[in-house]
Amino acid sequence: MAKHLISLTINGDTYEDLVVSDNQTLLDVIRGEVGLKGTKRGCTTGACGVCTVNDANGDAILSCMTHVLEWDGEAITTIEGLADTGDLDAIQKAFVHYGAVQCGSCTPGVIMSAKALLNAHPQPTEEQINEAMAGVLCRCTGHVKVKEAIRNAHRIEEVVSHAAGD
Amino acid sequence: MLLPDHQYLCADSLQACLKTLRESGERTHVVAGGTDVIFNMRLRLFQPDIALSIRRVAEIQQVEELPDGSLRIGAGCRLVDLAENPVINERYPAFADSIRAVASTHIRNIATLGGNICLKTRCWYTNNSEQWRQGVKECFKTDGDLCHVIKSSSLCHAINNADTPLPLIVLGAVLTLQREGGSRDVPIAEFYQKDGMDHTVLEADELVTHVTLPPCADRTVFLKIAARKGMDFSQAAIAGRASGTGSQAGEVRLVLGSISMAPIVLHEPARLIAEQGITDAAIEQAEEKVRAELGELTSLYARAGYKAHLAKILVRRALKALREM
Amino acid sequence: MPPEIKPQVPKDNPGLTVVGQRQPRLDGADKVSGRSVFTDDVVLPGMLYGKILRSTHAHARIKRLDTSKAEALPGVKAVVTAAHATGMSANSTDSVAKASKRRTGKTIKLKTGEAIFADDVVTYIGEEVAAVAALDEATATKALELIEVEYEPLPAIMDSRRAVRPGAPQVNAEFPGNVWSQDIDNYGDPDTAFDEADFIMESKFEAGVTHNLYAEFHVALVDFSRPDKLKIWTPTQTSYLMQHSLAPAFGLSVNQVQIIHLNTGGAFSGRGAVRPHHYVAVLLSRETRRPVKVFSAGDEEFLIGRALGKNRYKTRVAADKDGTLRAFDMTCEMDGGAVGNEVGYFGWMAGLSNAWMFDLQGNRFQRKVILTNQRPNFLGHGGMMVSSNCAVQQLLAKVARSLDMDPMDLLLKNAVEQGHTGLSGEVFASCGLKECIETVRRESGWNDKYDKLPPYHGIGVAVGAMAAGAKGAFKHDTSAAMVRVGEDGLITVYTGIPDMGQGTHTTMAMIAAEVLGIDANDVQLVAGDTDLTPIDIGAFAQRGTITTGNAARNAAIDARDQLAKYAAEKLETSEDNLRFAHGRVSRVDDPEQSLPFKEVTWGTLNSMEGRFVMGRGFYNSPLPYGTTSWSFDAQVAEVIVDPETGQIDVLKVTVAHDLGRTINPLAVEGQIDGQVFSAMSQVIYEELVTDDGLFLNPSRLEYKMPRTYEMPEISHFMIETNDPYGPFGAKEVGEGPVVVAGAAIIAAVSNALGGTLMPEMPMTPMRVLKAIRASELEKSRSPSAA
Repeated sequence: MAKHLISLTINGDTYEDLVVSDNQTLLDVIRGEVGLKGTKRGCTTGACGVCTVNDANGDAILSCMTHVLEWDGEAITTIEGLADTGDLDAIQKAFVHYGAVQCGSCTPGVIMSAKALLNAHPQPTEEQINEAMAGVLCRCTGHVKVKEAIRNAHRIEEVVSHAAGD
Repeated sequence: MLLPDHQYLCADSLQACLKTLRESGERTHVVAGGTDVIFNMRLRLFQPDIALSIRRVAEIQQVEELPDGSLRIGAGCRLVDLAENPVINERYPAFADSIRAVASTHIRNIATLGGNICLKTRCWYTNNSEQWRQGVKECFKTDGDLCHVIKSSSLCHAINNADTPLPLIVLGAVLTLQREGGSRDVPIAEFYQKDGMDHTVLEADELVTHVTLPPCADRTVFLKIAARKGMDFSQAAIAGRASGTGSQAGEVRLVLGSISMAPIVLHEPARLIAEQGITDAAIEQAEEKVRAELGELTSLYARAGYKAHLAKILVRRALKALREM
Repeated sequence: MPPEIKPQVPKDNPGLTVVGQRQPRLDGADKVSGRSVFTDDVVLPGMLYGKILRSTHAHARIKRLDTSKAEALPGVKAVVTAAHATGMSANSTDSVAKASKRRTGKTIKLKTGEAIFADDVVTYIGEEVAAVAALDEATATKALELIEVEYEPLPAIMDSRRAVRPGAPQVNAEFPGNVWSQDIDNYGDPDTAFDEADFIMESKFEAGVTHNLYAEFHVALVDFSRPDKLKIWTPTQTSYLMQHSLAPAFGLSVNQVQIIHLNTGGAFSGRGAVRPHHYVAVLLSRETRRPVKVFSAGDEEFLIGRALGKNRYKTRVAADKDGTLRAFDMTCEMDGGAVGNEVGYFGWMAGLSNAWMFDLQGNRFQRKVILTNQRPNFLGHGGMMVSSNCAVQQLLAKVARSLDMDPMDLLLKNAVEQGHTGLSGEVFASCGLKECIETVRRESGWNDKYDKLPPYHGIGVAVGAMAAGAKGAFKHDTSAAMVRVGEDGLITVYTGIPDMGQGTHTTMAMIAAEVLGIDANDVQLVAGDTDLTPIDIGAFAQRGTITTGNAARNAAIDARDQLAKYAAEKLETSEDNLRFAHGRVSRVDDPEQSLPFKEVTWGTLNSMEGRFVMGRGFYNSPLPYGTTSWSFDAQVAEVIVDPETGQIDVLKVTVAHDLGRTINPLAVEGQIDGQVFSAMSQVIYEELVTDDGLFLNPSRLEYKMPRTYEMPEISHFMIETNDPYGPFGAKEVGEGPVVVAGAAIIAAVSNALGGTLMPEMPMTPMRVLKAIRASELEKSRSPSAA
């Protein structure tokens, strides 16, 4: 198989001249050539969602289900890129505060899926949450606190400072 | 597990795409969203030499309103975009429902209408890894000569699980199939073949480029039954259409999906309703006629008896829903 | 009678400052930012990729195995087969047998050892036949394809019922008749109870083949570059058992085996033992003297994850007309698959767990572990108690119905109370079962709903109990902890227990913080590396809170005592006149006289004599015969059944759990949520469809667990009975709720269908429709029996 040079912008950093092959998926390169391990390898057939990243529009993308060559010159966000100033993003804070994380192996994919939802709907309805998150599994929480965190992400600063004040 | 070795090409125009298909169609797979192709490649069910991406083919990514009131949709349009399209939602609500019913949000973010229309059939004797398949004899789909699902059959019984074709069939949609230097229009109802292997009439050098929906003033409905909402393939699904209002129904169309190798257009049940209207008595009679038109049922993904049962339930529910509209 | 033991703190007004607070998990920020490392994320220099060739036959002779072409493939560094593993067996339970004998006076038959690779005969689909290590995954995959295996199929036996009939193919010559073990446990006097009872009711129940479905696929990364040190990175529930199994197999001492369990992505009773693939990874690394990673992809995970096999239960209840439950008699035929495993032991536990909740005259459990050529079986989430409790609780609802009694009243009438001595000698030092029952009765609106809901809308109740820190399972059962005090007041807790998501590490931090009177966020954990951490048998048998928790508490107390010396000097008082709380150390008799905790730590560590403060603690149940504490649980589930499609919609589950003391309400709620989800999944959705042992649906898509739309509303009520043995009174919450949730849901479905017993789980739509037809038939035969 031939090798190709592509560029990929991940979390604002442009990786020029990544050497990739035709048969590599976006996930393979994120974890391999680029070396960011936050995005997880799961079922690799599109059913579990742990490989979810966001595209430039902020949509949830299954990185294992797309050729990396489709993304030459494109920009994506992975879990490492959510907290751009080093401080946690609202959804991340909400996950920690509401106990929506247990084992953590689905968490990056769950959070990127939630982030995509919140990008489109900052205060989503129950139906919107269910629909956006049905494609990603969470075996430990049973999705319950995950949904609670998403519901309250828009007001997390207020919630956290209130809890700290108690 | 890595995808098998192959060459990735990205067509930058429809022209370029069709040229490649003419030159190497037999060894090429078109990659639209990729969710179905990558799935099949990952399991080494299909190992094309070339994966031909059409993501840059702008010609097939538009939604156009035609002068005669039809809507022409590019097959490369993403399902997520079509689901939100106001014209589709207003004029073809059942079709919009079927789009939203496909898989999950994640899948719909990259999957395309063309991809769903051409969705490969599925069977749990093939849809597992290559290592797994070493434990079963080769079947029709994997270059063997038997079917594991119906052992005495000379056909592949893998199931067609696509949701969007069902309302497209009742709406009388027409597919444009293009090849280099030519094109043909195929009514979607004639696009599918009752064969798990050769499940469409698409030739190796052809691409589905557009889906044209004629105007429709009738009532339409799409219903899906699945194990889990927002995630699964249908265990059974139905699209229905009726002219008229209330229990008065002129023309009736009913199409079932996910039950067999191709969508099933119901004749006798539809005729009964068209004749008698959507009355309780007519619905009951229509239900009785369903089983005979389902053909040989398999216990693939759900037991045959349950599929037959769901088919009846869906016919009943679809007719009642139409009556309420 | 057990020795008198005083609770650590009073039941009410315990004066706790950290325990009981909602504490977000300490590693939360790492997990949500992608910084947390899981085994598959680790890449070591020179690392090779391993892949395993697995049997595609349920039963076959290996006529020919030729690995030469694989060996010759460029990039392949090693190929291993049975020849490399002669005499080796995967066996983590030698210690289990001994302890069980001590406890019960009889030997509970356990694993006899399991070959790493099949030698001349394969006995199940998925059995390891050979393995390769190569420079990259693609080469390893190609190498597997080049291994030539010729099988001569042998008759296979896939059904446990047929396996015990004369003439059935034999799975293992050591066990003629395919009966791996057969035992009868009698507690109390069941015979008299059954003879004298007013009536007897019985039922049959079956549970299907499952997988534990943790999110992180199995993976083992081994570095055996140095012949005197074996390092393994792998998700596990027990580094201890792994060390003890691997060391002797590879001629090493226990401490030459280093287990590194970084974050473990869930376990759900599925990672409690060493498996052949661990050994395979070690063999590959030993052959190459390089690190080797073996990752199980997609459907392979379903072959190596060992959950439950087909279990068949026959349950009998003896009762009196006034609602007194006299005895249970349960017979369970368990499909052990091709290996047998510890399934019998867990069967024994299930038998006990049926009866813990009730004041019975007798309890009998008859179990038979049968060998078949199915995948070897082990434990599902909740052991097998989810299914056994489903069988029992449904039957109790029927007993209640037949007596025209509300099931709640039946349960209350027979429920045990604090101080009760159970039939096998258990003493319930704390018990809030009745309060749990009354709580869910009230909070679920039971009285307004039971027998008052429309058709196909049902409500059901179930109860359960769970041994906390079930002792008696192992050669010795101890947890140890260390607490290192930093001069800056930052504390480090060292623990050997894995955190698979249940939040144990944060719990340990909270316990230590409580003792030292500081903020839990000032505690860091060192865990997940046997070179660094003290002994801990592992995260199973609900040991985390009670055993490891007590160890952490003891270690923190030891550290506190070391600090108290300095503080007492400075505050001019005696050490027993000090209180550590709110970040300060103060005199009890004169709280104004106090020092900041950080000053005490700094002062102690920088004293002239150069003190070093390291608290040590361990804990082992003080009872010679076993478990000290049991949690109790009651739940009500409300469901709607679609009589057309047979689908079940779980509307609401109300949970009341007597956990002794809530250490971290946030984590407890999360556990309850996850267990309701898990039980619901097991009783409604999860089913491995098989065709002669071949799994047809080994994927996350087709082996189903609920997602967002399916989840019910869940209410949590924590009942605090302040167990005298538990740390600050805490017992467990790690597995108690799951064995009740399933039973409550199935009881609700049964109720929705007019009381028809559901004979099988999962309750697939077809089975629900069948039950509806059966119930309609029953009704039409005797209309008065509705």
